[in-house]
Amino acid sequence: MHAWRVMMMMPRSKKQRQLFYLVPYGAWLLLFVIVPLCLLVVQSLMTQNGHFTLNNYAIYFSSGTYLRMTFNSVWFAFLITIITLIISYPTAYFLNQLKQKQFWLLLIILPTWINLLLKTYAFIGLLSKTGSVNTFLNLWGIAPKQLLFSDWSFLLVAAYIEIPFMILPIFNSLAEINPRLEQASRDLGANKWQTLRYVTVPLSMTGVKAGIQAVFIPSLSLFMITRLIGGNRVITLGTAIEEHFLVTQNWHLGSTIGVILIIAMVITMSITRDRVRKHSRKRG
Amino acid sequence: MYKKIKWSYLYLLFVFILLYLPIFFLVVYSFNAGDVMQGWDGFSLKHYNELFADTRILEIIVNTFLIALLSSLLATVIGTAGALYIYNQTNALTKNIFLSLNNILLVSPDVIIGASFLILFTVVGFSLGFVSVLLAHIAFSIPIVVLMVLPRLQEMNQSLVIAAKDLGAGNWQMLSRVILPVISPGILAGFFMALTYSLDDFAVTFFVTGNGFSTLSVEIYSRARQGVSLEINALSAMMFLVSLALVFIYYVISTRFAKSKKRGTRLVLPASEGL
Amino acid sequence: MKLHAFLVTMYLLTKSEDWALTNTSTPIIEFKNISLSYDDNEVLKNIDLELEAGKFYTLLGPSGSGKTTILNLISGQLTATHGNILFEGNVINDVPVEKRNMNTVFQDYGLFPNMNVYDNVAFGPSIKGMNKATIKTKVTEMLDLVKLSQFADREINELSGGQRQRVAIARALANDPEILLLDEPLSALDYKLRKDMQSELREIQQRLGITFVFVTHDQEEALAMSDWIFVMNDGVIQQNGSPEDIYDEPINHFVADFIGESNILDGIMKADYLVHFVGKDFENVDAGMRPNERVEVVLRPEDLDLTTVDQAKLIVTIEDQSFRGDYYEITAIDDDGNEWQVQATNKATVGSRLGLTFDPEDIHIMRFNESEDDFDARLESYDDDAAE
Repeated sequence: MHAWRVMMMMPRSKKQRQLFYLVPYGAWLLLFVIVPLCLLVVQSLMTQNGHFTLNNYAIYFSSGTYLRMTFNSVWFAFLITIITLIISYPTAYFLNQLKQKQFWLLLIILPTWINLLLKTYAFIGLLSKTGSVNTFLNLWGIAPKQLLFSDWSFLLVAAYIEIPFMILPIFNSLAEINPRLEQASRDLGANKWQTLRYVTVPLSMTGVKAGIQAVFIPSLSLFMITRLIGGNRVITLGTAIEEHFLVTQNWHLGSTIGVILIIAMVITMSITRDRVRKHSRKRG
Repeated sequence: MYKKIKWSYLYLLFVFILLYLPIFFLVVYSFNAGDVMQGWDGFSLKHYNELFADTRILEIIVNTFLIALLSSLLATVIGTAGALYIYNQTNALTKNIFLSLNNILLVSPDVIIGASFLILFTVVGFSLGFVSVLLAHIAFSIPIVVLMVLPRLQEMNQSLVIAAKDLGAGNWQMLSRVILPVISPGILAGFFMALTYSLDDFAVTFFVTGNGFSTLSVEIYSRARQGVSLEINALSAMMFLVSLALVFIYYVISTRFAKSKKRGTRLVLPASEGL
Repeated sequence: MKLHAFLVTMYLLTKSEDWALTNTSTPIIEFKNISLSYDDNEVLKNIDLELEAGKFYTLLGPSGSGKTTILNLISGQLTATHGNILFEGNVINDVPVEKRNMNTVFQDYGLFPNMNVYDNVAFGPSIKGMNKATIKTKVTEMLDLVKLSQFADREINELSGGQRQRVAIARALANDPEILLLDEPLSALDYKLRKDMQSELREIQQRLGITFVFVTHDQEEALAMSDWIFVMNDGVIQQNGSPEDIYDEPINHFVADFIGESNILDGIMKADYLVHFVGKDFENVDAGMRPNERVEVVLRPEDLDLTTVDQAKLIVTIEDQSFRGDYYEITAIDDDGNEWQVQATNKATVGSRLGLTFDPEDIHIMRFNESEDDFDARLESYDDDAAE
């Protein structure tokens, strides 16, 4: 009799327990994930008076300025990704060969724990017209230049900030490669470079893709660095959104650009998605 | 062979210098007697004195830490509940839907989070300030807590739960005596991640902060737009120390509890979006 | 007298033939006084060895004995701290792995997960820059050899352990190596599969006629497959010889204990052909030691027979027995308290008293701390005795 009651109660008590967990978490999901996203989409589809319109999208797609800005943003994000990739891959590769590699990796990660406003601020000091880099260049007889507020300074600082986020996933994917595979490759007659090209690099592609994801999407939405280093110009999707929300107060168009950014993000993620599984299932 | 290794060391040295130079530069100039980040006018602690005399900055520091502590505590509670809910969910489809929804805020750019929260608060008629920033910080910290706790639950020995049930443990006893102790390293790690997320955030806060209230990141931003002030250098030196302490604590926790194979991969980076 | 002279001549002839074989044809691999240390840890100590082309060699020893280290030195994955390694007479200490004409089958196979079976086997030939058609012929031939022709398009993670093993062998052989190095390749397979692979490997080796160097900790495997075995322990080659030599004439306690089952007892050589152990004198076939020299006596369980008490050399009490399929493994205790392992075809009753008997030639004598050279010299002196 007792056992029967326990059995009857089990699902009920499990339900209660689940409800107890679901209430706070579900409320968060609803209020801070689903609703805000819906609001953003709704805003992009509304006029100032609250009527439905596609006008915001029409403005966006017919304006040379917006399209150029979007292209620019993608181009900058692409450059930042390439620069960080070029610097990070060898770093991750060499790090992985060190004895105390976890310790050195921690040192790579450490700068990311420092407030990035401060790191950006440091570059203002380094790159300003009277700053240290110009002083250094002056020693070589090069006249002081305006280094700050240029595309180059923007690329430099953005790449600087993003490097650890590229190194980490590549490092992890390299560390997961069985060292035996590199041995086997050498054993079969491949030299160091051939081993790198045919074995190591293909096997670390998952990490490279994860790194690209971790760098490209944030690079599209940068706005703080463009303001402080890139010289108050609207050159990324992120800056454009900030401009429309906080400066010109045109939330509807700002939301439209936000939706575009989300779409760009989804595209990037689907391109860089790991296809390893699909590949192995080819012959099922 | 010997030569190759040398080259790789040289390259790594270069990368490390690159990564640490700006931070080093900031800290060194915080001790400059002059007022700009250039030249060297001798050693002085005057910028630290200025910093400690600046009541506005001190108030903001208190606010920032208050927000960080409160938001990460609440996010840890809600996130742990979420992880337990997802873990107990037997339907694979529902489980996946919840996981995907959970990760939306993790992958979204900060500008999007900031902008959509701004719309939300405005539509609801919520005034911007301490509470709106707190809510926003709780909101973006929850998913990382879920992701830190969930693997612990999945690693949990199932026979433990069955044994506890067999011994007659009720729901609450099961949670407090069996499950929570087992997953506590994950909860602790989640709390620390939430803390650093909150301390590190600029973009989301910038959108929902309103006029009266400010956190350190926002304050540094507005000061930096006005130009260099070595008081900020002094502040950054202090924050560097705090970051070091946090990393150290986190590292100790994660290595102490994760006797498992891949401790390095357990280190998660703070949010990189919306710079 | 004529017969005597004839025998001596024949003996000298065979000896000189041996001599010619081992010394005029250059060994394919030679280690000259090789040592290897990590930090302060000496992994290999003054190793000398010679491998002849076309034979199946086994490096046998417990883990940490240095056998895999030797393999890695041959392949070039490791570099020795001291000494020279020669390939067909030329020092190859500084030749990088990829330039050595030898290939390895790794314990965990080391197959590239980003390539299918075909591409794995084709890896070596395509690195060498062969043309597509040649590569195709080569890969097909190799997959035929390991009976995997049907699996060319499979992904590695779709294969069973045994199939991966075969791919690894095909991949290593596709490079036409002069030496195939095998690092415990069978240890991950189950018993039945291992047995099959043992004979198949042996067959492949004989078909191709190249040198195999096989590393294992499994003495049964070593005895079954090899032409020649090196028994390793503590970074030293304890003994090398044909499987029969190693089994029948273990040189020291370690080898006797490691290869097969052994009853090892302390004894004294009272005189030539007379050994004293477990309190009794026994006739045996060893000679050439100092009178009353301390020795160790080895008796293999399968050389011992249980018999009635009156025919016995020793009286024992049966302690325990277990059925092993083709024999009974019996543990018995003699009156001095020594434990004996016996393999018997008949069942015995636990607790009963029975006799133990063995032939003089089944008593193997090991000197304490005898070096391998001394041992060889002593063995040869028996041969000389026999020849005269």
